[in-house]
Amino acid sequence: MNSLSGWPGTEKLKREKVYILFLFLGLVLVAFVFITIGNLYYKQAEDFSGLIDAATDLVVLKAIAISITMALASTLIAFLFGVPLAYFLARKEFMGKSVIEGIVDIPLMIPHVVAGIALYGVFMRYGLIGAPLRKLGIVITDAYPGIVVAMLFMSLPYLVDTAREGFKEVDPRLENVARSLGASHWRTFREITFPLAFPSILSGAILSWGRAISEFSAVLIIAYHPISAPILIYEKFTSFGLRASRPISVLLISICLVIFIMLRWLQRRRG
Amino acid sequence: MNAKHIVVLTLIAAVVLSAACISQDQGKSKLKVIYAGSLILPFGELEQAFESEHPDVDVLVEGHGSIQAIRHITDVHEEYDVIAVADDSLVPAMMYPEYADWCVRFATNQMVIMYTNRSNYAAEINDSNWYEILARPDVMFGFSNPMFDACGYRTLMVIPLAESYYGNQTIFDVLIARNFDPPLPLIKDNGTYTVVVPEVFEPQGDKIAVRGGSVQLIALLDYGGIDYAFGYKSVAQQHGLRYLELPAEIDLSSPEYCETYDKAKVTLGFQRFTSVGVERIGRPIFYGITVPKNAPDPELGLEFVNFVLSEEGQRILQDNNQPTIPPEVDNLDKIPVELRPVVIKEIKE
Repeated sequence: MNSLSGWPGTEKLKREKVYILFLFLGLVLVAFVFITIGNLYYKQAEDFSGLIDAATDLVVLKAIAISITMALASTLIAFLFGVPLAYFLARKEFMGKSVIEGIVDIPLMIPHVVAGIALYGVFMRYGLIGAPLRKLGIVITDAYPGIVVAMLFMSLPYLVDTAREGFKEVDPRLENVARSLGASHWRTFREITFPLAFPSILSGAILSWGRAISEFSAVLIIAYHPISAPILIYEKFTSFGLRASRPISVLLISICLVIFIMLRWLQRRRG
Repeated sequence: MNAKHIVVLTLIAAVVLSAACISQDQGKSKLKVIYAGSLILPFGELEQAFESEHPDVDVLVEGHGSIQAIRHITDVHEEYDVIAVADDSLVPAMMYPEYADWCVRFATNQMVIMYTNRSNYAAEINDSNWYEILARPDVMFGFSNPMFDACGYRTLMVIPLAESYYGNQTIFDVLIARNFDPPLPLIKDNGTYTVVVPEVFEPQGDKIAVRGGSVQLIALLDYGGIDYAFGYKSVAQQHGLRYLELPAEIDLSSPEYCETYDKAKVTLGFQRFTSVGVERIGRPIFYGITVPKNAPDPELGLEFVNFVLSEEGQRILQDNNQPTIPPEVDNLDKIPVELRPVVIKEIKE
């Protein structure tokens, strides 16, 4: 029966049964996100000039630029310290390892306002870290470093956890072979382990960057100013309503979506 | 039984207990109340008292900045049975006629300067030197965002009023204007003061901390991140903070000084999106409460309002340091009959 040429034959349908079932189940989640965001865009389409106004408004562009660059700074710091931690956790068994892993994951469970208040307590002018930094002339609260600190706290588990799983998938025997052939531990890590785990690390970095951009409540407490995009959206919503805040949201989501898709595309090409 | 079993059993117990707690409120009628952040503690008590009198009702309460609370109804189209805000003039300005057509004044407040024992110069500050102390280089202070928090725009009324009360024309400049970049403009015209809030409202340097609501400022005060914060007396008392009472001529507490207060105005200096409520005029602080027209259960809403305005409700508010006033309504002909017994007076202005 080949009258429906182009359609998969019943044979193929049978073979792919599980895939098809999973596709439909999975599409529920995709639709969940798509409908929510699509509705936002649809409503905005009725007020296209509002979107143009937002896209040409320096205040809006500055806030979005602050969010994107501060999130990048936060991700780079998470990378610098998180990758070594992830490697260590992937390779070593020791007493209290689950405690360390638990500590790293605390930011995932803690209400963001609580995190913001706790961060404020440590980084404000008399805080444990804020006081010595202030002596050096570095102010964290209500300044760019405050935004980075809040973003870093909330987003670091995504990088550490994903990178750790990536390192675990790299067979230690490969490392042993390299080392038995005379490569130093450092060189083995640089040339064997890190490149093999890189897709996971990159994935973790992308997640961490996205999570950092979206952080609102913790930033709200420690660095309301300089105004980053989520704070601006909140301000516009509360002072002037949805008509003022929605175009900024749509703009932020669009820019981040483009960056996300490009990064995922790069990742796939490497993989 | 090994450790793994214990962990699994503990997890199961936690889930079962949580489910039991959640299911307790199932099947009750829901009453949704949204209100100004400064009412969080007193309304929490009102909620409990109302629930114990109406065991079949589950009161769901939500605290926000006043303007934000109204936006939830008018912009996000969420449905609430009762809304209470810290500035009753916002209800006609933002909700009439589509979402409400009456508003009852039921409470008042007083602007104070909150501080703690650790605040710099806490031992020295009084009602004749506070503006000098706030100006000192090692003093940091905060107030909430005037664009959407009633306490924020009220702060920007108190400070210009202080200029005229203390006969010192530099107070606003020293405390506020020069700590913003560009400096925040204050237009003085024939005894009236107008603060123009720019679209980019961002303090310069670290003298001033601006936050969305006064509750966030309290966290900053508690840690000593700032020394002083402008806020409501009720909130300072509820949080056990020290506070400086300001002269009645400037603290927006007394209807006697209506004509003094209305010399101070705060306007948003940009017109985009601002169809309503661009200008706020100084007036005594009055809290307003109403039942929105789209309330899912308006009868229950009215019952709650009735309870808030009843002797018992007013006593609960007072016990929580929230000063009350005899209820008055703006539109006596629009108010539902259920409220007629408690609200008899119409506001005459």
